[in-house]
Amino acid sequence: MLLQQIMNGVTIGMTYALIAVGYSLVFGILRLVNFSHGSVYAFGANSILFLISLNIGIIPAILIGILLTGILGVLIDKTALEPLRKKSAEGITSLITTIGVSSVITNLLIARLGSQKKAFPALFPTGEIIVGSIKFTYTQIGMLVISLALLICLLLIVERTKIGLAMRASEQNITAAKLMGINVNFVISFTFFLGGMSAAIAGTLVSSYYNMAYPNMGYTAGLKAFAAAVLGGIGSLPGSLLGGLVVGISESFAATVLGSEFRDSMAFIILICVLIIRPNGFLGKKSIKKV
Amino acid sequence: MKKVRFLLSMILIIAVAFGIVNSPAAADEAPIKIAVAAPLTGDNSEYGIGFYNAVTMMAESWNEKGGIQGRSIVVEQFDDKNSPEEGVSVANKIASDKDIRCVIGHFASGVCMAAAPTYQDYKIIEISPSASHPDYSGIGDFIFRNNTVIMHEAKASLDIAVNDLGKKNIGIISIKTDWGVSTAGIVKNLVEEMADSGATVVAHEEVIEGSDDYRPAITKLHDAGADVVICVGMYNLVAPVSRQYKEINPDIQIVGFSNSYSEELIKLGGESVEGVAFPVIFFSKSDDPKVQEFVANFKEKFGSEPSALTAQAYDSAGIYFTAVEKLGDEKDSDALRDEIANLTYDGVTGTTKFDENGDVQKSFTKVTIKNGEFVLLEDGASK
Repeated sequence: MLLQQIMNGVTIGMTYALIAVGYSLVFGILRLVNFSHGSVYAFGANSILFLISLNIGIIPAILIGILLTGILGVLIDKTALEPLRKKSAEGITSLITTIGVSSVITNLLIARLGSQKKAFPALFPTGEIIVGSIKFTYTQIGMLVISLALLICLLLIVERTKIGLAMRASEQNITAAKLMGINVNFVISFTFFLGGMSAAIAGTLVSSYYNMAYPNMGYTAGLKAFAAAVLGGIGSLPGSLLGGLVVGISESFAATVLGSEFRDSMAFIILICVLIIRPNGFLGKKSIKKV
Repeated sequence: MKKVRFLLSMILIIAVAFGIVNSPAAADEAPIKIAVAAPLTGDNSEYGIGFYNAVTMMAESWNEKGGIQGRSIVVEQFDDKNSPEEGVSVANKIASDKDIRCVIGHFASGVCMAAAPTYQDYKIIEISPSASHPDYSGIGDFIFRNNTVIMHEAKASLDIAVNDLGKKNIGIISIKTDWGVSTAGIVKNLVEEMADSGATVVAHEEVIEGSDDYRPAITKLHDAGADVVICVGMYNLVAPVSRQYKEINPDIQIVGFSNSYSEELIKLGGESVEGVAFPVIFFSKSDDPKVQEFVANFKEKFGSEPSALTAQAYDSAGIYFTAVEKLGDEKDSDALRDEIANLTYDGVTGTTKFDENGDVQKSFTKVTIKNGEFVLLEDGASK
């Protein structure tokens, strides 16, 4: 049972990590906590569910949905955040703006699709592999493999490609990067695009795991992923993975040992404990200037 | 500029004056207002919209007959979002409208109980089609419910689990709300009382409503050896729990309560809710011609079958209109209350007669899901 709970925790932790990446990427470059990210995640899952209902086939629906969510990420930046940057507004203004954007997206989803929970089709065949005393369902294995592959992809993009180099340069010093001829606005858009896509993929995996999607699903998931990002050290991709796993596993344990009612508060309890000892998170860099 | 301002203010004053002069003259012809206070948005909006549709349908059928004493009936809707805080603010809003003398709603027991003291203070009749918390009707003499108290329903659910399904190891999964906690406690006590049948509660897990992932709780119930699970929650708990439970134990039996009787359960749960059983006091496939007529009309109007609670809302509205008709008007709150308390109403959910607490006693029909449809338990089991 202990191993089973760890397995449950790892599976869900991986998806938290996928969402947390979106917070981390944006924070790294803009030093901005993008609170609209949870609703972007909900948008991903719900738009894919909507596209599936149009009978265009599950795979095309998912691909289009992921692309759309990526574009939504770019749109958020272009319409709400870039104008603020141009006027060199205070960091707090952008922060509040993202909260507003999140509310707009969620409510548009409710207006268009209704707020009830809708069944989400299973993406993986039912069945399980039993290793020792642990059962791995195909869904769990699929989620693990996809999340891990995606996280490695993101890491490779950031560490090994030209655009990744530009992202890291902007992260270190946005003005200097601009002076070196990097198209910073494109880099920022690209970052939002990546964040949106990974949120959509996380949304799809989670919806298929729970078999349901609804517009308000991004709220708790977004907060927990944010906790995971801060826990691992916001701005660090491996940190997001670590944070996501810690949150996922501790939730699963809290549900077993303390009772299911403690599950949702666990992410924040751990967060507070860790931040007292390590204010920058597990793998965070020191000297964060503004929040 | 000053002239314009003067002119504008004069127009305003005249308009207000006319408004005041006009209103008493129109009062005699004023429609009879009834409020529906329920979750119209959010997770439980399915129920709230059902309440509203049912009450509107009942009101329309009265209006077609020429209303009550020549006065038409108007239904006003209030969204309480199924939150106790919103419920109280809705109650105050309703209380501030002097024309509303009756509220059909709220949905969740916790919300009903938060709002009820306000209605009691203002002598507004509250008939909840769904509250089943034991303490609800005790709040005051203006507080009624057209639903059985949870004790009786829990007994019926346990009867399904132990006698019909023949299971002894009962697992309980309950939502952490006022209703969920108290119902789970009642179920536990009832199991203890029937200890000679061999039934025991092997595990009890409380979950946060709407947390979607019930696997940790399910793993615990499974390890404790439950072979039947009593799901204390709405359809949005029953559907994911059955699906997630059947992943690790395809033979698990799920027993719910009448509030999971909703088409959404089948939509959300799909194949996994096959065999889920629960007691209801209204079943849309009943042979009663009155029920069949109601179901046919409802389907034609709203395109879906009415759920049990929708039917209970329909009758609740009928009770109020009948009482108002007998009395002539709705102005005397105390007389209205007495009329409703003494009324025997024959509706689609059987005969409704409130006892001294404002509760009702009804007989249960056992229902299960077979091939994506609700059927009687004995029919479903025999096939």
